[in-house]
Amino acid sequence: MLKISNVGKSYGQFKVLQDINLEVPEGEFLAIMGPSGSGKSTLINILGLLDQDYTGEYLLNDKNYKDTSDNLLSRIRGDQLGFVFQNFKLLTTYNVYENIEVPLVYSKTEQHNKLERVEDVIEQVGLAGKEKSRPSELSGGQQQRVAIARAIVNHPKLIIADEPTGALDTKTSKEIMDIFTKLNQAGTTIIMVTHDEEVAQYAMRTVYIRDGRLYHDAKDVFKND
Amino acid sequence: MIDKIMIAFKSIGKNKNRNFLTMLGIIIGIACVIAILAVGDGFTKTMTKGMGTHNDKGRVTISFQSSSYDDVTSGLTQNDVSTLERVSGVDHVKLDSSNTAATAKIQYKTKRESTDLNKAPKHLKLYKGVGTTIDKSDMSNIFISHGLATRIFKGESALNKPLIIEGNVFIIRGIYKVSDFNYRPDIYVSKDVFKQLFANQITQNIARIYVQPDANKKTVGKQAVQQMKKFGEDKQMGSYSVSNPDQISKTFTKMLNYITYFVALVAGISLLIAGIGVMNVMYITVSERRKEIGIRRAFGATSNDIRSQFLIESVVLCVIGGLIGIICGYALVAVINAFLPFKAIVTGYSLAISLSVSTAVGLIFGFIPSNKAAQSPLVGLLKEE
Ligand SMILES: Nc1ncnc2c1ncn2[C@@H]1O[C@H](COP(=O)(O)OP(=O)(O)OP(=O)(O)O)[C@@H](O)[C@H]1O
Ligand SMILES: [Mg+2]
Repeated sequence: MLKISNVGKSYGQFKVLQDINLEVPEGEFLAIMGPSGSGKSTLINILGLLDQDYTGEYLLNDKNYKDTSDNLLSRIRGDQLGFVFQNFKLLTTYNVYENIEVPLVYSKTEQHNKLERVEDVIEQVGLAGKEKSRPSELSGGQQQRVAIARAIVNHPKLIIADEPTGALDTKTSKEIMDIFTKLNQAGTTIIMVTHDEEVAQYAMRTVYIRDGRLYHDAKDVFKND
Repeated sequence: MIDKIMIAFKSIGKNKNRNFLTMLGIIIGIACVIAILAVGDGFTKTMTKGMGTHNDKGRVTISFQSSSYDDVTSGLTQNDVSTLERVSGVDHVKLDSSNTAATAKIQYKTKRESTDLNKAPKHLKLYKGVGTTIDKSDMSNIFISHGLATRIFKGESALNKPLIIEGNVFIIRGIYKVSDFNYRPDIYVSKDVFKQLFANQITQNIARIYVQPDANKKTVGKQAVQQMKKFGEDKQMGSYSVSNPDQISKTFTKMLNYITYFVALVAGISLLIAGIGVMNVMYITVSERRKEIGIRRAFGATSNDIRSQFLIESVVLCVIGGLIGIICGYALVAVINAFLPFKAIVTGYSLAISLSVSTAVGLIFGFIPSNKAAQSPLVGLLKEE
């Protein structure tokens, strides 16, 4: 699915990411763990084609998008990727239905298909009947479901989730992870950032970031100290 | 596109007060545009309808101005026509009258008055009485103005009362009102009565001189006036002059032009201020919605999508303002019409111009903010909460 080699990124002198090597095969459910400020969000922004300002090589489906036009990048993000952001990132003035519909506005989906697709994913994340509610009228768990529904409405091959359970209690976290597990079982590749050990258990594999470096094995993380 | 228009309506609706204030400038500007164009169009239409014939090529008009106000008998005669036709460059001459009404002495009981009188028009809206035309079967039927009726009959109803005009008895069958801007004589008689009793009163005081194709209108006019001063039959009773029908319209046009420039200035300034307001409000919108832009970009919106979305929003804002402006423009034109001697008219093309202007304001002043929205780096946008 994707492969990054020697990827690095710095803000001025500060190296946020260094020498990252990672391969994610299709169908994998990968967790990325690491303390706050270690560079997790920075890494997945690069993986999600949201940030093109990095060194090294990144191949998504064997293609290098480093010098791709903004238009094509948007297309690929819209069609192949689905994002679940830290803190939900819902449009507060739009209702549930309209929030989930956002990706469909930019993919050439016909109006009647839109309705069907949005209803499908609403069903899938268990929000039936909440179409007209505003995000402010929903619980954190429900908001995260909306965010997930929005991420999957275009049937992406890869879901990139940044702390999907960060703001949720244990029980709700479990429900969210069940949705992710189901999506993964249906064939969707998932890359998820978390700093919750328990949540990471749902993934097939966990990698660790500390101070901008990636470790494939937990026992290597503190090796250099 | 439809999606983006819907989004635009939604986000405009969210900040109604702010956006309405922004629209005010456009509303005022467009209302002024509508009014200017309506006055201009109304004026042109009136000129081409009313005086257009004067502007015909190859014709000079000589008019006779009687030196005494009461004199209604002197004017131009067939002899004068022969004199004029001998002037070199003249093809032929026709006589005409600028007087639209005759005058007659009227009497009711002991009250006497001298009023103007004419044949009735085909249709006349009566204030009292039935029908819109004079019943021709009875020669004695007449209509009189409300003004005359109150002058002569005071509190009494004038309807079906007799009135003596030049010694003949007529019966008043209808009373009409005369507006300030539309001259009407005080009495209307039937066409036949007018011909028999009053037509000779309408003196011909205008000579239309048709000039030969190679002749100079100006010199012909000058010579014609000179000839009339020497040989005109009624030269003792008044003076002759080349009448320049454009004269009236010229001074009027000048005045109208000043008004138009002034209103155009108001329109221009308010549209400029409106444009700056639109730009400002779009900047605010863009920075308020950085999070939204980031989300849309992450889910497939290209920077062009973002640019066009904000441009559409700016245009929709201006067009709504423009539409309200058009409505206000109609109201403004109605007010103006109460003071104008002609009717200002809102034409289809002025509506088209107004909408184009509003669209243009939206595009021009929305462009920079929309570009800013489109070009913000994505990673920064996604950090917004
Ligand atoms: N625009 C920027 N300029 C300078 N430094 C930045 C910028 N953006 C991020 N950083 C730094 O990069 C580092 C990594 O940030 P990142 O958001 O990837 O952390 P994270 O692992 O996602 O943390 P968290 O778990 O709190 O979300 C941080 O130390 C942060 O201060
Ligand atoms: Mg983060």
